[in-house]
Amino acid sequence: MDIGVLRRDGRTDPFFDGTARDELMIKRCEPCDRWFGPDATGCPGCGADELGWARACGDASLVTWTITHGRDPDDEPAFLALVELAEGPWLHARLDGVTGLREGLPLVARFVHPAEGEAYLLFSGTRRSPQ
Amino acid sequence: MGSGAAIAGLGMTELGRVYGSSPRRLAANAVRAAVADAGLTLEDLDGLLVSHGMGGSPSIELAETLGLRDLRLLSLMSAFGATAGAMVAHAAMSIMNGAATTVACVFADAPLQPKQSAGSAYHRNAKEYYGFGGMTAALGFRSINAFYALAAQRHMARYGTTSEQLGAIAVSTRQWASMNPLAQLRDPITLADHQNSRWVAEPLHLLDCCLVSNGAIAVIVTSADRARDLARPPVHVLGWGQGHPGHRKERGSEFGLTTGALASGPIAMKMAGVTVDDIDVCQLYDCYTYTVLVTLEDYGFCAKGEGGAFAATGALAPGGALPTNTGGGQLSAYYMWGMTPLSEAVVQARGAGGDRQVARNDVILVSGNGGILDHHSSLILSPHAPSSQGA
Repeated sequence: MDIGVLRRDGRTDPFFDGTARDELMIKRCEPCDRWFGPDATGCPGCGADELGWARACGDASLVTWTITHGRDPDDEPAFLALVELAEGPWLHARLDGVTGLREGLPLVARFVHPAEGEAYLLFSGTRRSPQ
Repeated sequence: MGSGAAIAGLGMTELGRVYGSSPRRLAANAVRAAVADAGLTLEDLDGLLVSHGMGGSPSIELAETLGLRDLRLLSLMSAFGATAGAMVAHAAMSIMNGAATTVACVFADAPLQPKQSAGSAYHRNAKEYYGFGGMTAALGFRSINAFYALAAQRHMARYGTTSEQLGAIAVSTRQWASMNPLAQLRDPITLADHQNSRWVAEPLHLLDCCLVSNGAIAVIVTSADRARDLARPPVHVLGWGQGHPGHRKERGSEFGLTTGALASGPIAMKMAGVTVDDIDVCQLYDCYTYTVLVTLEDYGFCAKGEGGAFAATGALAPGGALPTNTGGGQLSAYYMWGMTPLSEAVVQARGAGGDRQVARNDVILVSGNGGILDHHSSLILSPHAPSSQGA
């Protein structure tokens, strides 16, 4: 799949440091023991406006999904989803090679390293998922 | 508190694939038309509320464009698709507490360019994407359609809602549009047409998605006492409410399952002294067929999860038990954000719906929905003044 070229924005760089080494880095509030998505800017629990980065295990489950179609019938449909990380946060994500879509389907993070631009994240079925 | 507030004027520019006018000019023309409709002049206005739009929409400089002087109320309001309801509520409160007497509320937008597809007006495409948010867009989240599709699919998976049930809403809405000379799409459609229309973002077909339109709509809000002496029958504003659920993107979220209508509906109905059983007509924000379905559930017209079955009974269609989106809505008539349902509510309350006029218009429910089901407004409108006896 061709997704264009991904560049850093200076605000979420640790996320791309993570994808470069095949790790999913998300935000975490240590005092509250709460996890957030990589774009979270503060903790609604304690009001902390600085969240640390921490490694998520990469396990997830499917919340809901859509298959988007371009106007051009030759465009490859995109399998997009909301996934729930094992740590709790939801991410808007793209699925790769996942069949038997259903709520709760186990997924695992997978990393793609394109020739140009930052590495990015996809979610695939686990071995236990029906393929 | 006096006699409450009423909508006394409605102004609409040409709507749809209309080019050549800036949103500011469209907005000014809609305000002028609304003032004239009410039998007033621009000098009678002492308040102006302007809705934000997609891009290029006017802000409070519109007052200068119109040459308005000595205003007592002037603001840009921003609650996405809930803005129209929020503007009318703010105007009504300002009038009832004496801060202003006659307030124009206007929305204008011109996202469509000549020779551009409707979808691309709300679509982002780039060669390079920046940061984590950019990755989300790069991976395929490039239009609002995908986000609403996620919501609709979750409802389907949880409650068994079907595409055919969404299609029933597309069909009934087009039935109404066929009787509205201002509707952009008036040719009747069948459920098969809906099912055969191309996928945009599964489970949403093209005919599940609203139009994109250029144009402007304005309403004039004033006191009910004053409205009685003006050119048009007053449309009384009996109740209003908002709901902003703040669904978090984390475990346990009700995203896609419930909306802000759960909060805004009961607030507005309680204020108006009505219940869901009293509602004669619904004008619901229908950016997607699914939005109508989930909004009907949250208002309590049917149980949670039964919105699809309810729509499939034909209740929303001409002759049905709950006439809904009687002008053709955003799906088939015109997409002016929350002004689409509001404008049709005014038409129906006045009894000016022509071939599509509903028999019973005593209590009209108007919804606004903004963001990805993040923001909600409700209005209760009526041709009848609120009864102090509690009729």
